[in-house]
Amino acid sequence: MRLTTDQFWSYKEWLFDNWGLLWGLGIALILAIVGFLIGFLVAMLKHGPSEGFLQVSKIIGELFTIDIPKMSFRRVFAIAKLSFKEAIRNKVLIVVLVFVIGIMFAGWFLDRNASNPAQLYIPTVLTATSYLMFLMALFLSTFSIPRDIANRVMYTIVTKPVRPTEIFLGRVLGFAGVGTLCLLVFGVMSYMFVVRGLKHSHEVAAVQADGMGGETKKEHNHTHTFTLDETGEGTTETVKGHRHIVRKVDGKLAVLDQVDDLTARNPIYGMLRFTGRDGEEGIGLNVGYMSEYHKYIEGDSLMSAIWRFEGIRPSSFSETLNFDFTLSAFRTYKGDIVTPVGVEVKFRSIDGKVESDRIQFKVKEFLIDQKSIPLKLKGVKDLQPADLDFFQDIAKDGSFEIVVRCLDRGQYLGMAAADCYLRAKESSFEWNFTKGIISIWLRMFIVICFGVMFSTFLSGPVAVIATISVIVLGMFGWFVDDLVSGKLAGGGPIEALVRLPLQSGSGTELDLGNEVIENVIRGVDKGILYSVAALKYSLPDLYSLETSEFIAHGVNLFEGLLARHLTIAFGYFLMTSMIAYFFLKTREMAG
Amino acid sequence: MSTAATAVSNSVQASPSNPDIIVETRSLGKIYRDFWGRKKVQALKSLDIEVRRGEIFGLLGPNGSGKSTTIKLMLGLLFPTSGRAFVFGKEATDVAKNERIGYLPEESYLYKFLNAEETLDFYGRLFDMPASVRRERAEHLINMVGLQKHRRRQLKEYSKGMTRRIGLAQALINEPEFLVLDEPTTGLDPIGTREMKDLIVRLREQGKTILLCSHQLADVQDVCDRVAILHQGDLKELGRVDSLLKVQDVTQIHAKGLDENTKNQIRELIAKANGEVVKMDNPTTTMEELFLDIVRDSENRPGRRSSNAN
Repeated sequence: MRLTTDQFWSYKEWLFDNWGLLWGLGIALILAIVGFLIGFLVAMLKHGPSEGFLQVSKIIGELFTIDIPKMSFRRVFAIAKLSFKEAIRNKVLIVVLVFVIGIMFAGWFLDRNASNPAQLYIPTVLTATSYLMFLMALFLSTFSIPRDIANRVMYTIVTKPVRPTEIFLGRVLGFAGVGTLCLLVFGVMSYMFVVRGLKHSHEVAAVQADGMGGETKKEHNHTHTFTLDETGEGTTETVKGHRHIVRKVDGKLAVLDQVDDLTARNPIYGMLRFTGRDGEEGIGLNVGYMSEYHKYIEGDSLMSAIWRFEGIRPSSFSETLNFDFTLSAFRTYKGDIVTPVGVEVKFRSIDGKVESDRIQFKVKEFLIDQKSIPLKLKGVKDLQPADLDFFQDIAKDGSFEIVVRCLDRGQYLGMAAADCYLRAKESSFEWNFTKGIISIWLRMFIVICFGVMFSTFLSGPVAVIATISVIVLGMFGWFVDDLVSGKLAGGGPIEALVRLPLQSGSGTELDLGNEVIENVIRGVDKGILYSVAALKYSLPDLYSLETSEFIAHGVNLFEGLLARHLTIAFGYFLMTSMIAYFFLKTREMAG
Repeated sequence: MSTAATAVSNSVQASPSNPDIIVETRSLGKIYRDFWGRKKVQALKSLDIEVRRGEIFGLLGPNGSGKSTTIKLMLGLLFPTSGRAFVFGKEATDVAKNERIGYLPEESYLYKFLNAEETLDFYGRLFDMPASVRRERAEHLINMVGLQKHRRRQLKEYSKGMTRRIGLAQALINEPEFLVLDEPTTGLDPIGTREMKDLIVRLREQGKTILLCSHQLADVQDVCDRVAILHQGDLKELGRVDSLLKVQDVTQIHAKGLDENTKNQIRELIAKANGEVVKMDNPTTTMEELFLDIVRDSENRPGRRSSNAN
């Protein structure tokens, strides 16, 4: 799982410090101007410039003076309830049955020998739930208004004191209600499936002669070895992404429930910076990989990676300060890819006057390297050895730094901001799973908003296609970005079409023997790609709203991130409701 | 435009806020266009009419004459291409006017998956009525249209007549001041038709204004105070039903118990006054009256052949 820096911004940081609010307002302003201009153009063609301008201004004016202030909750509720009943009586709950049957047999198709079953089971059920909800939202939301118009039931609705805002809001809330009901069932079923599929314990198979370790019996296709301390307690080795606590119960050794997989770690992230080979502020090295995600520091040099943490509260930790690393190593040993690379870590105060003793260890690649230091520790204060209290000496106001160096000459350590984090007290897996479901709900809500919006001016089938386009662009918008930025070779759609019959590989330059034609093709492609990219930026990035990885990797889904997604969903709700209002207000319901 | 229509046009100089004029159209016109904006058909040409408080106003005309278009323009379901329509002094597109309007479309366009109670509750909510008022109104209307036994059945199971009746109930849910009835007797049997006509007259007696659009000329004649006759989008005639139908130079006498001798004396008297007997015979009843008599008789004496049958 790769976290990017923006994902662990707090809500406030996102909204104010990183221009989230300004971006949102800017986009809203641009859309409002574009919307007004399009509306004005259409009205001008019908009624002439001055009357057209008046018409559009009147519609906008009525939105704020009448249609929003005079909205009645009872009417909205009536339409929402009607939509709910309509969906239920059209037997939408059959989808629930399909899901239940699907999940009953899903276990047959999942690899029982997977190296980390939690990372297989959880994304599977959450992704299946997401797509099922997308489908349901799509078909629920796009057909109702066109059907009401086609069979003229709309005549009896709009001849009542019902406002366009109420029709849109009622429809959206009604369908969201149906979706919520289904999602509740899906959520409970998915949770049961995951817990029943993963939760297990073992029996002790053998204990070492010295009583300090042993092995468990095979359960769920694996065994663990375990070690015990003097008190007779311990943990097993990590196998398939989890460990077990081993403890004496009623005088006998017992292997208890697993830890590490069905959990919600609470990582606290810091900001990463580097020092160069001269020990001064610098940038990390690129060892030649295409990806810019990791930056590297060189071993046995003054290069270091420094994470700065702020606002850390002592209440988040009990006796130890827990921190995890997910560092990667780049070796220059000839023909050797396994020799471990050494790391040195120290904690220091912001002013650099207090620092802990150094901790050295070997990098565990591709695993979460869990470390902890006691809060009472030894170190150096004002250049003198001293006994330190972590929160009184090093992190006085909750701020401190972790400095990481690579020990082995000629070797490199790679890291990104998310590769070192403090592990505060864990949250409950159940709440994390619920947040994952809430996240699916938000994406379903966005699809419903777009579906209902399209259905206010398109026929049912066309509205379905338009909404599918939103989902596809939302889920695979990165593909458009890669095409536009040239990351993906082979050019745009026209160039690809020309390459096909010529059997020309995408890695080569297009060569038609005529530079003018080639330039025309590239020019047209650019136009198409930039248009699609512009469209993509005004549509929701559903891919970035996906959060199942957090749940699968046992990372607490940050409340700040969820609040951000909630804000984005609300933003799209506002946008779609404005567009839907305009169309409902201006379209003739008869004729 | 006919002279009658012109007269009305001239008379409608009152402001739209005149409380005694419920509906007023000024040069109202509608052109239907295709997707490309090309003119398909001119459904209505410069219509000027007014509907006054407390009257039953009939819109008559053959198919395609512009009746339904006029109604849809008045209700804001369509937007005029030219001219304007006012209802209660407000633009027809103003949603607020709907508070005081009841509308029964030509077919009852209702949600088939709801039952009668749910239908009335739904439309009651659209008028922002509190639950107690909705319940009371729904109860009253279900009894009034005679659907007590079918109140819990989904509308998709209803016969055409039952659908029409629940349609009427939804149009009355807000106790409207102004009622628009599009083909109100379509799909009703003669008893239902009579009940509907009686109800329309009763509603007028309660002070409601009714705009009625129908093909059934007899219905219009029976209940309407004034009518407008449209043809090909033009207003062809407008006026009071009784004066429009009155044949000025023919005198009609209804008498009972006359023998042939007396009838001959009457003929002679007419001849003496230089009159001409156009027709003198026994009147026939209407088929509607005959049918209703038979049904009433059958209800009183079940299993027996009607006494009207010869």
